[in-house]
Amino acid sequence: MVDLTTNFAGIELASPVLLASGTCGYGRELEPFLDLDAIGGIVTKTITPEPRSGNEPPRIVETPAGMLNAIGLQNPGLEGFIRDKWPYLAELNTVVVVNIAAPTAELHGEMAASLDRLEGIAGLEINISSPNMRDGGMLFGCSARASAAVVEAVRRSTDLPVIAKLTPNVTDIAEIARAVEGAGAHGISLINTLVGMAVDIETRRPVLANVTGGLSGPAIRPVALAMVWKVRQAVSVPIMGIGGIASADDALQFLLAGASAVQIGTATFTNPMVGVTVVEGIRAYCERHGVSPASALVGSLQL
Amino acid sequence: MKSVGPSPKDVEARICWTVELAEKTYLTRLEADHVAQALPGQFLQLCVRADFSPLLRLPLSVCAADPATGTVDVAYEDVGPKTHILSRLPSGSQVGCMGPLGNYFPDPVRILDSARLPDTNKGAVLLVGGGVGMPPLLFYGSRVLSRDPQAEVCLLAGARTAAKHFPDAVMAGSASRYRRATDDGTSGHAGLVTDLLKEELAKAAAVTVYTCGPVGMMAAVATICRDSQVPCLASLEEYMACGFGVCVGCVVELAAQAQVPGQDHTPYTRYSRVCVDGPVYDTSQIQWA
Repeated sequence: MVDLTTNFAGIELASPVLLASGTCGYGRELEPFLDLDAIGGIVTKTITPEPRSGNEPPRIVETPAGMLNAIGLQNPGLEGFIRDKWPYLAELNTVVVVNIAAPTAELHGEMAASLDRLEGIAGLEINISSPNMRDGGMLFGCSARASAAVVEAVRRSTDLPVIAKLTPNVTDIAEIARAVEGAGAHGISLINTLVGMAVDIETRRPVLANVTGGLSGPAIRPVALAMVWKVRQAVSVPIMGIGGIASADDALQFLLAGASAVQIGTATFTNPMVGVTVVEGIRAYCERHGVSPASALVGSLQL
Repeated sequence: MKSVGPSPKDVEARICWTVELAEKTYLTRLEADHVAQALPGQFLQLCVRADFSPLLRLPLSVCAADPATGTVDVAYEDVGPKTHILSRLPSGSQVGCMGPLGNYFPDPVRILDSARLPDTNKGAVLLVGGGVGMPPLLFYGSRVLSRDPQAEVCLLAGARTAAKHFPDAVMAGSASRYRRATDDGTSGHAGLVTDLLKEELAKAAAVTVYTCGPVGMMAAVATICRDSQVPCLASLEEYMACGFGVCVGCVVELAAQAQVPGQDHTPYTRYSRVCVDGPVYDTSQIQWA
């Protein structure tokens, strides 16, 4: 019997596999396909202080081994989330981490204070990495100082575990990781999408109305893995590995490289049951290799 | 519109056969037990390659479904890598098949969401299709006729040229009467299918219009119906990633007055997810331009 449980930054996970923000909605959408309690947890789609319409369509386009998206954080806002989305999430046994974004550090703090009162919320993930937010997201995440300011504001407002989600669109992700750790982040998740673009050569126009979008899917997996490895050397807080994970084999690469848990993103779009497949695949690997707990794999990369 | 149809599942489907219906346009029959409960307007997400390469699934409207035999038909034009692969898979091949997805045209007898839908029990059914927008209309027409063989179902089909039109045998199974239009005049009316719509509306008493096709055509149909005060439902097609509501990629802008009746309008309700809130919309709900 393999022990898959892990404690990530104070959050007790039944397994080290979560569904990434923006790819599992607010949980309910996956109900026909997947028992959410069979995976470690979910991270909600980003919520912002006020409701947002998101970007004009087209918002997505497929690219080699991946896709570009420029959804633009369409969400019901903090109040709408608590009123309409949280009651369903609160009933789940699985861990629910709420992802937040805001235009200022102070507003991040105010959101954290409101969410702190929700019964059953496991933690907060701060989206300082969306490439599709003109008034926040990656604008914070590209600066070590601004990233730290957001994390500090959130930490002052809540005792919940705080995870900072980092962007790969930076010169040195280790510098940002050290800054958010220094500001009190309990954990770090990486990577958000890479900025990308596609052009329709017949119309000579960008395919996405937003011109650029965020690249996700298997195409970015090696980049994500290398960044997890790099950040592992730079900080001591736990890391959630994200980026193109579509199988247990992929997830195991991240665990070995130093991620304490992983998030599955785009793969859910094509196979909504993939989360469970990954959990079972990690279990089978551990049985085959006589490993238990599975957390013993974390960072066990042989150099 | 609310969807209260069969819950979707992701199943392994088997390809029974594929035939060429029109130039580069194919009809494929799949054996897919649960998915065969699909209703007109609903769609499937097919995984045509087991290794998910290309990555995203292929969303296709259901053209016919028979719960008794567990089969479901899709009709599509070979326009990209996924439709090309599907059109060439041999009989007996397995494909991943998620569905039925989305909402559907109202049941011809039982109105499911009467608060937001026109009364479709009244009068004739007028189907207006363009290009490969035909499948949901063919499905709906055949369902209406199977419920009531005396029903008046008129199908107006537009295409670029004669070679692109679906054959008579397919049209006749879904309509009591059908008319064609082609851009180049090679079959039927030389001109737009909306010309035929205007003619039909001029002589019809009570009618409900159902449309599917290129967005420009649907917008024109919506305008004509609005001006004639005729109810009109459209099945929209959008570029999709997931097909079940999580990615929020396949959105359509709603007309201001259509945003969630009874609730405050917020920016959140400006764009509607075609995969789960649609693909069938009352055309007066859509911000067409």
